[in-house]
Amino acid sequence: MKRRQFIKAAGTAVSVPLLLNGMRVSAMPRSFLSRIVNPESDRVLVLIQLNGGNDGLNMVVPMDQYDNLANVRGNILLPESSILSIEDTVGLHPVMTGIRSLYDEGKMGIVQSVGYPNQNRSHFRSSDIWTSGSPAEEVWTTGWLGRYFEGLYPAYPDGYPNSEYPDPFAITMGSIVSETCQGTASNFSLTLNDPFSLAPLTEGSPSDLPDTPYGEELAFLRLSISQANAYGDVITDAAQNGSNMAAYPEDNRLAAQLKNVALLMAGGLQTRVYVVSLGGFDTHANQVAQGDVTTGEHAELLQTLSDAVAAFQTDLQMLGLEQRVVCMTFSEFGRRIRSNDSFGTDHGTAAPLLLFGSCVNPAILGDNPEISTDVSGDEGLPMQHDFRDVYGSLLMDWFEVNEDDVRSLLYNDFQYLPLLLNCTATSTRPEPKSEEAILMGAYPNPCSNWTTISFTTADEWAKLSLFDSIGNELRVVTNQRLSAGEHKIQVDLHGLPPGTYFFRLQLQGRQKTKRVVKN
Amino acid sequence: MELLRTEGVSLREKMTLFWHNHFAVSDIQDPKYIYRHSILLRSFAWGNFRELIKQVTIDPSMLRFLNGGQNTASAPNENYARELLELFTIGKGPLAGPGDYTNYTEQDVVQMARVLTGWRDRGFNTTNPDQDVTSVFLAGQHDNGVKQLSPRFNNVQISNMGNQEYAHLVDLIFQQDEVARFISRKLYRWFVYYIIDDNAEANVIQPMAQLLIENDYEIKPILEALLGSAHFYDILNVGPMIKNPIDFSISALKQLEVAFPPALAQRYTLHFRIFQAIIPMEMEYYNPPSVAGWKAYYQQPQFYRVWINATTLQSRMGYTNLLAGDGVGQGQLRARIDPLHAITLLPDPFDPNAVIDGFAKLLFPQPITDSQKIALKEVLLPGLPDYEWTVEYAAYEANPSDQNLADAVAVKLRNLLQVMLSMPEFYLS
Repeated sequence: MKRRQFIKAAGTAVSVPLLLNGMRVSAMPRSFLSRIVNPESDRVLVLIQLNGGNDGLNMVVPMDQYDNLANVRGNILLPESSILSIEDTVGLHPVMTGIRSLYDEGKMGIVQSVGYPNQNRSHFRSSDIWTSGSPAEEVWTTGWLGRYFEGLYPAYPDGYPNSEYPDPFAITMGSIVSETCQGTASNFSLTLNDPFSLAPLTEGSPSDLPDTPYGEELAFLRLSISQANAYGDVITDAAQNGSNMAAYPEDNRLAAQLKNVALLMAGGLQTRVYVVSLGGFDTHANQVAQGDVTTGEHAELLQTLSDAVAAFQTDLQMLGLEQRVVCMTFSEFGRRIRSNDSFGTDHGTAAPLLLFGSCVNPAILGDNPEISTDVSGDEGLPMQHDFRDVYGSLLMDWFEVNEDDVRSLLYNDFQYLPLLLNCTATSTRPEPKSEEAILMGAYPNPCSNWTTISFTTADEWAKLSLFDSIGNELRVVTNQRLSAGEHKIQVDLHGLPPGTYFFRLQLQGRQKTKRVVKN
Repeated sequence: MELLRTEGVSLREKMTLFWHNHFAVSDIQDPKYIYRHSILLRSFAWGNFRELIKQVTIDPSMLRFLNGGQNTASAPNENYARELLELFTIGKGPLAGPGDYTNYTEQDVVQMARVLTGWRDRGFNTTNPDQDVTSVFLAGQHDNGVKQLSPRFNNVQISNMGNQEYAHLVDLIFQQDEVARFISRKLYRWFVYYIIDDNAEANVIQPMAQLLIENDYEIKPILEALLGSAHFYDILNVGPMIKNPIDFSISALKQLEVAFPPALAQRYTLHFRIFQAIIPMEMEYYNPPSVAGWKAYYQQPQFYRVWINATTLQSRMGYTNLLAGDGVGQGQLRARIDPLHAITLLPDPFDPNAVIDGFAKLLFPQPITDSQKIALKEVLLPGLPDYEWTVEYAAYEANPSDQNLADAVAVKLRNLLQVMLSMPEFYLS
């Protein structure tokens, strides 16, 4: 057995293999995906990774919950008057003036409370879950975009770049490739710091390599060097041909990366995915400055984000590239609802996620989280939207992947979300059954051993699940097609310890959570 | 860094760096803290793992880094407790149930955070010469209640033990044999290879863990066993490690015996320049990217390969090109290969084939192929027969003070070394 095959086989033995309709990716015929997607699309996805776990409640503030927030996180809560209102009940952190303007112009959307069942609160594991798109219980070693690219270009990296595909498929700004683009054999993204200072590297002379770990690693190094050289040329050309038109803020780590993205796009580079990142969101302590809670570490980070994105969007507009780009933020988790005495917050559960671009649905998808004054110390925001629904909806509407393939790339329970608006490929987009908000109640609440969940549906599929306060999915209460009308389901909570629980209801294209306390 | 460069066959500095990667302290803006922390790691290079964990738990830098100093009875901060389990001692197993990571549970994180309440660091950025950097236990901030651990720790209850409670907790964690397996795997990945297959798990990791337990968690015996094992020297396992940036940079200095100035201030500055040159290769002392350390030692499936990409390759080749060329540094103060010294390290400097073989042996983990040797000889002696080298080198040897003769040989050797240092083979060890 060849070493490389052995490594792959070993990988399958210890972790859950990547399955696409039951087949390993490498076993699929080359034509898979390519017949149903348009690889010549010039659309670009920019991922903005916020490393460390972003405190969503300090970024997108549920104004109708303000009094209760003051009760549970009073030492870090923004003054009500300072918050930038964007809708009646939703506000942004006061430093986010640039992003507020984008919202006003119809170029920003918010997806509330994005997470996954069985939240893992380890940075590393949860980052891996977010970058791979795996369920929390399974280790997948490929990234969600890596699998997408692998479906299109299964032979990569052998034979790339070539005359048909001279440009890197993805670029990570920085010095470490993004795990979102990890494929089975190699990573689809090239790293880049400065597109103007790429010197040719010495290429190793080809020779036969021994079938040993040493030979494997040497082959990897040689390929990395020759690819860096080949892609280096096209990047240098693009950087020299392109130019930025808007002014970017100085001393802004994120703006410097986005500026290069715009530059390379303007220079004609046909890269499909860019990954940029901003670290420092692990604000266990001193998230806000003592004395002025509108400043501090988190405020600086949000300002960096807002200023950078606003400049980038302006640049794209001036360059005439606006219709080609969608940006999305993500972070490994949100933080606790209750703050700690260190003027910070600990690892939590779900958080809002932001989308930018002239093609996004400029709306707030989902509900404000419910904040209760009796939240326990370890409670995070319950998830309303599964992150894989966000990924899958982008793949469908932005990269024209059909829904069955999205289920294969991500998960079977995929639910489409209307994240994009004007520029979408309409053929792939199912209409949501209803745009109406879901009405959902629980009685009694607080309860002892029984509570009744009530909700109204159209004639559609409904899934109701029970979660504990730290995001574990305890039980699927019902998962079936329901007739139109009001439904009441009595739920038995015997055997569960007293505490906070969440019911999550999924209807077609809509989700809602309801908090229930068991005494 | 200097100690790493000059330590010969000793492993103390490699182990100090291992522990630095293990605990991954960063962003401590006080050099006195960092100094104290690094002295601690060095003094335990191959010492007792359990005792090291105890001391690190209340080390001033760690108290700041993972917010232990803000962990109080009224407002527990579980940052350190979580990493103590997940990254420093027992590791996270598969998710076995809600909040249950096989080796420990969310409940244990919460309860252990309570155990660790009450510790503070003292002396951060102090200008008072009488104030030492130290840690203190504030009984009033300590949670005196009973802490109930999960079934993963046999439902043990921990009653109040004041300033000895943390040590008791570490003893409790170390009663789990998984701790020995966890640290053995990490040492294996640091010294041998990133893939731990069933064979390595059964025949290397398990015996290492057993030896560690038998030796009461002393690291030295298992290091001796690992590095003296047939497995370590097995031809299949020679050279599969992509050198980390520090190892990469130091190994070039070390193998070719690059000279450093004798004066301390100059030596310090030059090491600082090299430190700066290593940063763009994505490794910086006291600034690992996260509390898990550098990704090369844990990130599946790439592991060591995360060091290598289009950007870091530029930095690595830029560094070795300078080293073989004008030198790394500024002005007169540079680390620069002296090819006329380097060649004296070889058994037969007169034969060009032996020169290439000799440098290959110094720089590469495995022999290179004949066609590679031919290509390298073209660099050393473009289009010339072998005896030209013998003649040139003999002329220089006979009259070493003749600058013209010396330069003629040195330029050729610089070209050769520049190419050899940029070969992927040099990136492996």
